[in-house]
Amino acid sequence: MSVSLLKKPQMHFGAITFFAKQHKDDVCGSNGLPLTPNSIIIYGRAQILKTIVNPYLCRYLDIIRGKHERTIAVSQYCGKPLSSFIEKSVFSFTDIKRIAYQVLQGLKELHSRNIVHHNLSSENILYENGNIKLFNYGLYYMTDNGKLVSFPIVQLLYTAPEVYLEEFKEIIANPKVDIWSLGIILAELTLNKLLWSSLILGQRIRKVLSLVQSTTSVFERIAREHNCYDRYQAIPADLKEIIEVCLNIYSEDRPTAAELLEKGIFDEFQVQKTDWLSLLKMYEIFTISELYYWWQLTGGDVLQELKRQGLIRSSPPILSLPHLVLIEGTILGQDRNPATLYDPKIVEMPMETLYERFKNISFSCYYPLIQTKSEIIAQSEPEPYDATGLPLVIKEKDPEYQFHRVILLRRLLHGYPFTRDLIVKEAEKDIPPLFRGDIWSALLNVRGDYERQYAKIDKATPTPTDRQIEVDIPRCHQYNELLSSMEGHKKLKRILKAWVNQNTQYVYWQGLDSLTAPFLYLNFNDEAKAFSCLSKFVPKYLHNFFLKDNSAVIEEYLAKFSQLIAFHDPVLANHLYEINFYPQLFAIPWFLTLFSHVFPLHKILHLWDKVLLGNSSFSLHIGLSVLTQLRDRLLNSGFNECILLFSDLPEVDIEKCVILSAETFQKTPGSITHREYENEEFKKTGELDISGVTLQDLKKERCPRISVSDLLELIRNSPDKAIVVDIRNITQFNRCSVRDSINIPFSSVCFSENKIENVGHHSNVLKDNLDKIVVVVGDEETDLELFPTFLLNCNVKFVCVLHGGFNILLPISPTILASQNHIS
Amino acid sequence: MSSGASGGGGGGGAASGGGNSNHQRGAAQRPNGQTQNKICQFKLVLLGESAVGKSSLVLRFVKGQFHEYQESTIGAAFLTQTICLDDTTVKFEIWDTAGQERYHSLAPMYYRGAQAAIVVYDITNQDTFGRAKTWVKELQRQASPTIVIALAGNKQDLANKRMVEYEEAQAYADENGLLFMETSAKTAMNVSEIFLAIARKLPKNDQSGGGGGGAGGSSQGRRLAEGDSGSRGPAGACCK
Repeated sequence: MSVSLLKKPQMHFGAITFFAKQHKDDVCGSNGLPLTPNSIIIYGRAQILKTIVNPYLCRYLDIIRGKHERTIAVSQYCGKPLSSFIEKSVFSFTDIKRIAYQVLQGLKELHSRNIVHHNLSSENILYENGNIKLFNYGLYYMTDNGKLVSFPIVQLLYTAPEVYLEEFKEIIANPKVDIWSLGIILAELTLNKLLWSSLILGQRIRKVLSLVQSTTSVFERIAREHNCYDRYQAIPADLKEIIEVCLNIYSEDRPTAAELLEKGIFDEFQVQKTDWLSLLKMYEIFTISELYYWWQLTGGDVLQELKRQGLIRSSPPILSLPHLVLIEGTILGQDRNPATLYDPKIVEMPMETLYERFKNISFSCYYPLIQTKSEIIAQSEPEPYDATGLPLVIKEKDPEYQFHRVILLRRLLHGYPFTRDLIVKEAEKDIPPLFRGDIWSALLNVRGDYERQYAKIDKATPTPTDRQIEVDIPRCHQYNELLSSMEGHKKLKRILKAWVNQNTQYVYWQGLDSLTAPFLYLNFNDEAKAFSCLSKFVPKYLHNFFLKDNSAVIEEYLAKFSQLIAFHDPVLANHLYEINFYPQLFAIPWFLTLFSHVFPLHKILHLWDKVLLGNSSFSLHIGLSVLTQLRDRLLNSGFNECILLFSDLPEVDIEKCVILSAETFQKTPGSITHREYENEEFKKTGELDISGVTLQDLKKERCPRISVSDLLELIRNSPDKAIVVDIRNITQFNRCSVRDSINIPFSSVCFSENKIENVGHHSNVLKDNLDKIVVVVGDEETDLELFPTFLLNCNVKFVCVLHGGFNILLPISPTILASQNHIS
Repeated sequence: MSSGASGGGGGGGAASGGGNSNHQRGAAQRPNGQTQNKICQFKLVLLGESAVGKSSLVLRFVKGQFHEYQESTIGAAFLTQTICLDDTTVKFEIWDTAGQERYHSLAPMYYRGAQAAIVVYDITNQDTFGRAKTWVKELQRQASPTIVIALAGNKQDLANKRMVEYEEAQAYADENGLLFMETSAKTAMNVSEIFLAIARKLPKNDQSGGGGGGAGGSSQGRRLAEGDSGSRGPAGACCK
């Protein structure tokens, strides 16, 4: 059965929970803002733990914040605590050596990342089939060396004596503490004895402290105290030596984990790694973090499980009332029972629902076919899971669908950059939330050495921009736990400083913080990637928006926005024009930050999923779609109501927005949104394209221009989608004109009233126009503003003007021209 | 003097905008009875360094709310609030601008034709006071000559971290003929007071309202005629 793939012993997880220290009521920081709750600081610090992948460490999967400063850490959990094997004589000395080796490997990994376990004991070493994994090793680190919680992070018996002797406040994380703990654990294992198991708490601490006075070997003394001297003597000398050096009472004399691993005793366990092997990353079809994700989708809920298994107890609210509240607000008698702050119990999460739900997924679904030239093989693939037509939010919550997406995209991402085209193709369907960060960076073409590039940038030297960055960060998407955490603030600041440093042609504009936020949120543990994404994003979508003087760029963009509204929705455009509601007043934050200052993160993600697939004009269409959603209210409102509507933007349905913008984007020939300030790297202009339109002219024109190449494409490929209106005089028209065009000589129309009937017998064609693009063609002698504006005022849709006029057609494409002398 | 913000704290949400304008329209559509309250509409602009609390002051005044993590303003935001002053109903059209120096080029668009301005600084930061002075100078030079300027020393709740002395700011305000108050958007101290003080100082019978600094938007006062449901862009004042 394919479910067995899910049922590997390593693929289980559990959770622990504890409370962070609560701030005294209503305390403010030096900037007048409330202090960040400790649980949020922990949440930010703990994120990095999720990136640690090591065979001897349980993998961290998730950090969850509960009510009242509760924190829950979810991590891999497999096997049984080592303590449950002691006094059962199950381990040979070789077994113990292997355990020592594996623990040291785990510690070495942690210490190399400046993480001190500080909590190591035989309780949280999990043993299974001869292998161990350290569990709950991040508690001390995530709580900032225990400073963020009000319970001590120690394991009475296993904690090094210096920890008890030092002032609590001054503790700096010392990795040697863990070496001592390992010594005690090895002593237990070799002596096959749970140490001082009959003593009560105070006595145990005294015992540990008494070791400090020991003049002989600590290990020997422990052995004698437990009447195990015979056993002690039977221990092989090399193992004994390791234990002795671990239990050195002077922490500086204890060797480091790396040093211990060098010892000859561990030679037999060293994996012989040839160079080519270490270059190859083992590919797993899925890991425990994907499994955890599916588990959640199938209804797994850590919080509920903790409640069910009694680790979260709710007490009646009345019991949490304070005993006394002083008139100035001091609250007394609300302290939480210290015994409930941290419960070392581990709750294992049940997997049955997941197994049940996935039991019918066939084996071959785990190995999807990526590419084949053989149709026979392609046909033997199982039918793809059909989720088309489901709303995006449902798709994202559908476990089976996400199973298939995750399996496939994980594989494609593994092959990036060679699989980029395939990733783009899949991203067009939808982007599985689990891999959004990686998929985005693939779409943005972030390449190999981004980490090194980022490391080289100066992110520390103070600059005049710092003040602005510092006041902006504490108000940037602060409802989000990651972005409001201290780690989040630090990272965002570094990224912004790096960006300012790297883009000397640009300056920091307020709003750049919001623009960076989605990238940081998705790549919280990969700051360099977040920076890289930003650095790729700006030139493509916001080219020159952050120039010190960006007014021309912004003005052009806004003018194009007005024209796009006019093109698609003349009624709305005319209304907004009449009430002087111009985009300068409301749309600057929209486009400058690509809506990242306007919408909350979860909406930005869905919006940008599509933005990243389009070009830089797509955000104009998003802007249009926002207006379209609010159309009725705008049409019935005056200036004040309209502007108020946008100062406090009402709920906008992002999925609708995305669909609408994609529709108008499809419908709009590219040159309609042509901008002079577009980045040439992404848009090459030829002689058939628009060029040389000054900003001054652009701002006067209410209808957009269309390029010859777009017009030719229209006429050749979909002539039924275009109405060409030739406004030259009838003689010129008859001599030569575009095939099937209609002639409304400019001079024949009375523009004094906005009545479409004024154009004569062609008025019906224009009046009834639903979806055809109306291209106005004139020449130097005809006014190319008055006529299209007149059509716009008559609420004719899709009006645009041929850039360059009729004469530009003559040398280029005689095939679409005809002489119509036979028409009177 | 009997005066107070009408529903100052209670406007709340999107309704405040619509509500106010209905009120305005309703009142305007009444026949020009002599006994009716006068309705005046003024354009007011907030200026000052970023993160001094401009948006927070407006939010407190218009909705009675305070957000610790008030987002930065990009471009500008627009809000309205109506208060009663003796027999006059004063409607403020408030333009809340972006503080960052770079957005400076946009500022004239908002203060052009404004009858009142609140220049805000943060009492815990001397630099913001310096910036406030620059704004005052610019307004005196560029804006309408009759503009009523108020100086607001915000974040009074952080008085223990004060870097700008009350007396210093008061002296500066006196020299330049500004209204001056220390305010706190967080505790609501002096927030409606400063708007009321401005409302009192604004001319309420003069039709033109005194606009007229810059080019663009009509600087003439505007009658609230029937069916005229909104002002023309960020400009215009009116009494009737």
